[in-house]
Amino acid sequence: MLAVLVAITAWAWVAVDVDLGALARNFSNAQNTLVQLFQPDYSFFGETLQPLLETVQMAVIGTAVGCAVSLPLSFLASRATNPNGPLLGFVRTVMNVVRSIPDLLYASIFVTVVGTGALSGVLSLFLFNLGIMVKLVSEALDGVDRGGQEAALASGATWLQADRAAMLPEVAPQYVSQTIYVLELNIRASTVIGLVGAGGLGMLIDRVRTFYQYHYLSLVILEILVLVLLLELLSSAARKRLVR
Amino acid sequence: MSAPTLAAPRPTTTQDRPRKPAHVGRKVLWLVVVAVVVAAFWGVDISWDALWDMPGKLWHYLGLMFLPPAWSQLPAALSATMLSVAMAWFGTALGVVISFPLSLLATRGLAPVAVRWPLRAVFALLRAVPEVVIAVLMLSVTGLTAFTGALAIAIGSVGTLGKWGYEAFEAVDGGATEAATAAGASRAQVMRWGVWPNAAPEVLAFWLYRFEISVRASAILGLIGAGGIGKMLVDNIQFRVWDVVGILMLVVVVVTMLIDQISGTVRHRIITGRWEVPVVTALRRRSVRAARLEASPSVLEDESRDGTVG
Repeated sequence: MLAVLVAITAWAWVAVDVDLGALARNFSNAQNTLVQLFQPDYSFFGETLQPLLETVQMAVIGTAVGCAVSLPLSFLASRATNPNGPLLGFVRTVMNVVRSIPDLLYASIFVTVVGTGALSGVLSLFLFNLGIMVKLVSEALDGVDRGGQEAALASGATWLQADRAAMLPEVAPQYVSQTIYVLELNIRASTVIGLVGAGGLGMLIDRVRTFYQYHYLSLVILEILVLVLLLELLSSAARKRLVR
Repeated sequence: MSAPTLAAPRPTTTQDRPRKPAHVGRKVLWLVVVAVVVAAFWGVDISWDALWDMPGKLWHYLGLMFLPPAWSQLPAALSATMLSVAMAWFGTALGVVISFPLSLLATRGLAPVAVRWPLRAVFALLRAVPEVVIAVLMLSVTGLTAFTGALAIAIGSVGTLGKWGYEAFEAVDGGATEAATAAGASRAQVMRWGVWPNAAPEVLAFWLYRFEISVRASAILGLIGAGGIGKMLVDNIQFRVWDVVGILMLVVVVVTMLIDQISGTVRHRIITGRWEVPVVTALRRRSVRAARLEASPSVLEDESRDGTVG
């Protein structure tokens, strides 16, 4: 067992072409960069405001639309709420495919299809969210106690009515909590997808890094950091309340 | 003696239902959420008209990609994928080696506060910065190579693995630790014999799970030029060689799903101690259900219908 793991790691070592020499050789280079990084240029703040706002807007829109669309889809993707086998399999397969494509790949494709800007960002965040939300919520549905649903079905409700009346209230807290979690992921993702031209802070990062303006770069990173940490605090507080 | 008479049904008093609680706070919260969403839609610099011809365009490009994909590029795509996976594996392994001692040092009860909190802050910091940004920062040192990607993944995984690690160690039942301490174990011995055996399955599963995340991350890192499948993708997207993009996407999807399945199966084995291969289990479950159905068809009618796909 251990031998297998070591073998894989050795293979990876060779494939990745580990070059410790480069680390040593370019260290002075790194020193300059680091010095610049630790001196963020706050005068750049004004210029970062617009992309920062755009990042948040993209994340909010992506989350809102993605989570709204994912709710009916997760009911279709859970064995507990969808009695129709073939449909269940179809929805699950499609969602598996949607989920296994990374967000940055969506972004780079949408940038070529609809052009650079926030729209391609929103679209890729939407698909990214859909994948995650449907998985999390349908798994929550699988775990829900089905007594209420059974009672509703026995009293003559259709599957739609039973799911609406008995299953939706059961998963509602988890749904909201996952939505907040996805918003958090989105803020993170939307800072990045700009690197390929999909709007937001990422586009700014791409611009300043091509000109090696590490003073500016560190300010942008600092902003991302503050944004992400703030949201993480907010979301963990909110989720703690929901779960209780 | 009069026969006991049944009491006449009591006239139902028309009593109002209790009023629903007002939930003012919740309503205000909803209003704020709706306002934020509307404001985002309003303020964002998007011409939504572009959405109208989007489906047509998307269809067109999907046709270019998959009708048919460039099968001739499959070997190249697979070797690029191997590089991405190697990057993910090496990065994760390095992350494991670095994060393991650090997460022990960040565990309550095993290390003093002065060590614990700075470490936790570092983990939080590393988690907050996306891997791609870490890679962008490291470009100046190691250049645009797969090694840079692997290092970025390593640094990123130190953040997540460190946090999961100390959480798992803190969740360990105190009995064994206490016994080890009582028997005169040193701090290192307590970690080795009191904490590790209890937390090992969970921590191992986390390592594997992190590898799954790293596989995705390595594809993304390629997109900014750090080699592997992502680099091949972005090159072909830039030059609009769509049929190659198609095959690359197929490879990404299949490989990611495959690795998730394998890793998920192994994780399941680590946690529960049983092998449960997805397809086999689904088939077995189905045949069990069919057998039960034969025994008593009427009862299980509903269940047999929803068990088609695993």
